[in-house]
Amino acid sequence: MAATRRLQKELGDLRASAMKNFTNIQVDESNILTWQGLLLPDNPPYNKGAFRIEINFPAEYPFKPPRINFKTKIYHPNVDEKGQVCLPIINAENWKPATKTAQVIQALIALVNDPEPEHPLRADVAEEFQRDRRRFLKNAEEYTKKYAEKRRETTSAD
Amino acid sequence: MSAQGQGDPGEDLTSRAESETSCNDMKRAAAKKLIECYFYQLTDGCGNRDCGNQYCASSGKLTNLTADEAAAQAISLFSKDARLCDGVHPTKVARTTMEPGPASLAKSLPNKNVNPTCSVEGKSVPYLTETKLLDIISKCKSEGSYCLLIRTLGEVFSSAQALSQSFLKSEKDDSPLTVLLDRAPASLLCPSGDLSKEAVRSLQGEDKEEDSSDPTPTVPQIDDTNVDLPAVRRTFAALWSLPGEAFESALVHALVTLADNIELNLRVFSGNSEDSTDSLLNVFLIVFEIPVLGSSEYLEMALHMLCKAASCLPISDQAKLACIWARHCKTRLPSLLQSLQQLITVKVIGGTFTRDYCVQDTDTITATTKVMKIVYFASILAGELDSPELALDEDNESNNTEKSNQRASTIAQDPLAVELAISSVDARKPLIPFIDFYNEPLSDIVEMDKDFAYYKSEQPKKFSFMNYAFILTPATKTLGLYYDNRIRMYSERRVSFLQAVVGQPTTPYLRLKVRRDHLIEDALIELEVVAMENPYDLKKQLVVEFQGEQGVDEGGVSKEFFQLVVQEIFNPDFAMFTTQEDTQTTWFNPTSFESDAQFTLIGVVLGLAIYNNVILDVRFPMVVYRKLLGRKGSFPDLEDWSPTLYRTLLEMLEYTGDDMQDMFMQTFRVGYKDVFGSYLFHELKENGDEIYVTQENKKEFVDLYADFLLNKSVERQFKAFRRGFQMVTDESPLALLFRPEEIEQLVCGSKIFDFAELEASTEYEGGYTSESDTVRNFWQVAHSLTPEYQRRLLQFTTGSDRVPVGGLSRLKMVIARHGPDSDRLPIAHTCFNVLLLPDYSTIDKLQDRLLKAINYSKGFGIL
Repeated sequence: MAATRRLQKELGDLRASAMKNFTNIQVDESNILTWQGLLLPDNPPYNKGAFRIEINFPAEYPFKPPRINFKTKIYHPNVDEKGQVCLPIINAENWKPATKTAQVIQALIALVNDPEPEHPLRADVAEEFQRDRRRFLKNAEEYTKKYAEKRRETTSAD
Repeated sequence: MSAQGQGDPGEDLTSRAESETSCNDMKRAAAKKLIECYFYQLTDGCGNRDCGNQYCASSGKLTNLTADEAAAQAISLFSKDARLCDGVHPTKVARTTMEPGPASLAKSLPNKNVNPTCSVEGKSVPYLTETKLLDIISKCKSEGSYCLLIRTLGEVFSSAQALSQSFLKSEKDDSPLTVLLDRAPASLLCPSGDLSKEAVRSLQGEDKEEDSSDPTPTVPQIDDTNVDLPAVRRTFAALWSLPGEAFESALVHALVTLADNIELNLRVFSGNSEDSTDSLLNVFLIVFEIPVLGSSEYLEMALHMLCKAASCLPISDQAKLACIWARHCKTRLPSLLQSLQQLITVKVIGGTFTRDYCVQDTDTITATTKVMKIVYFASILAGELDSPELALDEDNESNNTEKSNQRASTIAQDPLAVELAISSVDARKPLIPFIDFYNEPLSDIVEMDKDFAYYKSEQPKKFSFMNYAFILTPATKTLGLYYDNRIRMYSERRVSFLQAVVGQPTTPYLRLKVRRDHLIEDALIELEVVAMENPYDLKKQLVVEFQGEQGVDEGGVSKEFFQLVVQEIFNPDFAMFTTQEDTQTTWFNPTSFESDAQFTLIGVVLGLAIYNNVILDVRFPMVVYRKLLGRKGSFPDLEDWSPTLYRTLLEMLEYTGDDMQDMFMQTFRVGYKDVFGSYLFHELKENGDEIYVTQENKKEFVDLYADFLLNKSVERQFKAFRRGFQMVTDESPLALLFRPEEIEQLVCGSKIFDFAELEASTEYEGGYTSESDTVRNFWQVAHSLTPEYQRRLLQFTTGSDRVPVGGLSRLKMVIARHGPDSDRLPIAHTCFNVLLLPDYSTIDKLQDRLLKAINYSKGFGIL
C-alpha cells in the first residue's frame, strides 16, 4: 500500500544519499511509519560500535514530529535507560514541518558525538561527564563494547 | 470631499488602490478640487476682510450668487486659471466662516448646510463643525470669556435636530457643484496643459483620502455614517484641553435636555419614520464620543439619561449603531464600556434594593445594560468572527424531530443578534475581552430567582438579566441555570404526582440503581431505557442508589456516581475516547467500535451533570463545547485541540517560498491511526494523493484538514453525543446564558485550589468557631497539604475534586464539631459539604485522622 508521498520520498532520498553515519535503513513494508537504522558516530567513546535506532513517525507527520529511540543501549547523558533521546529539533515546541528526516539524523549524530550535559536525561551520567571525564569515557566504552553492534566496514545502504 | 477624512482604518483599501491606479481619475479629482476651491471662494470667501480678489466673496465685490451660478462661474474661473486666494481650500473654507458671507451661503447651499448659531432668524437650525467650534474656542480664548462657547454648546447639544446636523462629513452628492462637475465632460476636467503640475501635486495628498470614500456612498452600507467621527474626536479633544470647567455644566444640562427630548420622542412616536431615527443615530454617535462621560458629573446626570434615550431606539437602529461603532469607533469602545460599567457600579452600590424593588426595576441600570449590549455586539463585530457557515448543518436536517422546533420556540434568540445576524458563539476574539463585560457588584446583588421569574414573565414582559447574560459573572449565571433546572424538575415532579393521582404510577425522580462493580453497564442500560422510552424523565431530579449501600442521595451520591462514571468512560482503555498527547485532553475516538447509543449516553451524562449541578472531571478541548453550541470546528480550534498541529500548519500557511512542493511534499491525503495503531488514510479531496499542497491551495488544505480532524472524522460519534446532551438540555437557557468557555467552566469547574478562599468562606457549627483550637489546627494541616492531598480533602468533603464555578468560596464548606476528643475518623456529608470533625486534642492526632479519612474516601457508609 502506498504510504505518504513525503515519507516515501524521504526514504528514497536517504537511501540514495548513502550517509556514512546512518546505514542499514530498514522499513517494514506494512508500516512505513517505523524506520530502523544503524547510527555510526565518529567520536570516541562511541566510534567503535554501531547503534540501532528506531524512528517513529506519527500519523500526522509532518505536522507532528517523529520520535527517536535507541534500540541499542548507550551510555550517554542525553539518552535515558529506555533509549529515549531528547533532541531539540524534534521537540513538539520546536518542530518544523519542513524539517527532513536527514536533518534530524544529522542533529542526532551531532548530539551523540558531543553530549550536552546542560540538558541531560541522565543526571548521573551528565555529572560524571563534567566532573570525571576519564571515568565517563571508560564507562561509555565498556557499554559500547558490551552492547553496541559490530561495524561492518564496507556498509552502504541495504 | 471628505473634509477632515484622516483615512479611517476601516476604509476600503482595495477601492483605494483601484482609484489610485488610474492617473486620469486623479487628474480629474484634482481638477474637481480646484473647481471646488473656486466655488467656495465665490460663495464663502477666503475670510480676509480686505480681500482684493474680485472673485472672492470676502472682497464684497460679488453680488449674491445662487448655487448654480456659483458653480458655473467656478468652472469658468478654473478654465481661466483665475486668481485663487491664499489659504482657500475647499475643506477648510467650506463652512468655516462665521462672519463674512452667511447670507449668501445660506441662500446658495441646500438647507442642510445652513449657517449657524449666529443666524438669528429663528427658523434655521444651528449646528456645529470642527472648524466652527475651534474658531469659537480661539475667539473665547482671546476674549477671555467663554460665554459664546457656553451658549453655542448649550444650544447645539440640547437639540437633537441641531446635533444631528453637526459634524457631518461634507456632503458632495447633492451640492449643485458636484452635480455639475459630474456632468462636466472629461475634456474640461483633464486639460493636461491647463493644470499646473504643482496644483495637481498639492491636491493629490488630500485626494487619496477622498478617493477611498468615493465608491462607498453609492452603495449605502449599514455601517456607514455621515458623521465625521475623526473630526468629532479632534473637536472634543480641543474642547477638553480648555482650562477649568468653563463649559461643562452647560454641556451636562444640554445633554440632559437632549436625552429627555429624544426619549420622549421615541416613546411617543415609536413608529417613527426612518429619516428621523437616522439622524438620531448621528446624535448618539456624537454624544457617546464625549470623552469624559465617565467622570462624576456626566456619570450622575447625563450618561444614564443618554442611555435611557438610546435604549428606546428601535432594534434596527441599535443594530446600525453597533455596526457603526464596530467599524469607526474601535478606540472609543473600551472607554465607553468602562464608563457604562462605572455607572452601573455606582448605581448598584448606591442603591437600596429589596425583594420588591430590585435592580431589574431600576431604569438607570437596565437602560445602561441595554446600551452595553450594543457595545457588546459592536465589540464582537469589530473582533475576529467565524463565518456563520460554520453553524452545524445538523440543525437544519433534523426537521423530522420535534426537538429542534421546541428549542427554537422556548429559547428566544436575542433580537439584536438576529438583526445583526451574528451570535456570540461566532466570536473568536472580540475587540474587548468578554470578561470586561462582567459587572461583579451587579452580579453579586442580582437575585437570580427573581430574575428568572422576570425572564419567564409573559405579560408584561419584564427586564431580565438573563437576556443580558454578558454582564453577569459565570457564577451568577450558574444560579440562573440552576433555577431553570429546579423549576423544570419540580414541574416534572408535579406532573408525575398528578399522574399518580389519576392512576398512572410514575416516579417523580430519575432513579438509577447501579452496582458499584458494574457501574457503566448498569448506568448505560438504565439510562438507555429511559432515553428510549421516555426522554422527558431525563429532566427529573437524578437520584442514584448504589446497591447494598445506605447512602441517601441528597446530591452527594449522584456526585460520586458521576465521578466514577466519568473516570471509567473516559479511560482510554475503554476506547470510546482518546487522549490528545500534547494537551492531555479527551477526544472522540474516530475509529471506536462503540455504538452510537453509547455516545448518546455520554452526552446524556454530560447534560445531566450540568442539569444536576455536578462538576465533572473531564478535559475536553474547547471545540467540543463550541460544537455542542452548534458550531463546527475550524482551523482556529486546533490551537487548543493540538497546539503542535496548529503551530506547524500555521507555519506552512505562512511559508511564502515557491518551493512548497519540495519543502513539504504534502498531498491532499492525510493519515491517522485506528485503535490498534494501524495507519489509515483519508483523502481530503478526490484523488487527494495526486494533488500537492502549493501556495495556491494551502489555505484550502488547512481548512479541509481541520474539518476532517474536528468534524468529519468524528461526525458519527459527535452527532450521537450531542443528541444525548440535547435530550437533557434542549429546553434550558444554557445556550442563551453561556459561551463555550463558560460551559467548560460549568462542567469542569476552574482549575486552581485556593484554600485561603475556602477558609474565608467556611462556616462552623456544633460549637466550633473560627477561633477554636481544633479549627485552627485543621487549617494549619489543610494549608500544609500537598495539592494532591488538598484535592483528596476536597473530594472527601464535597464528593468532587473540582473547584466550582466562582472558586472554592462557592463551596460553602461547613465544619461541625463531632463530639469531644475521640479516636473516630472525621466524616463528611458530601451533599451539604459538611465535614464532621471530632474535637481532637492535638494537631498530630488531627492530621493522622484526617489523612486516614481522606485516603479511604470511596464508598458511602457510616463508620
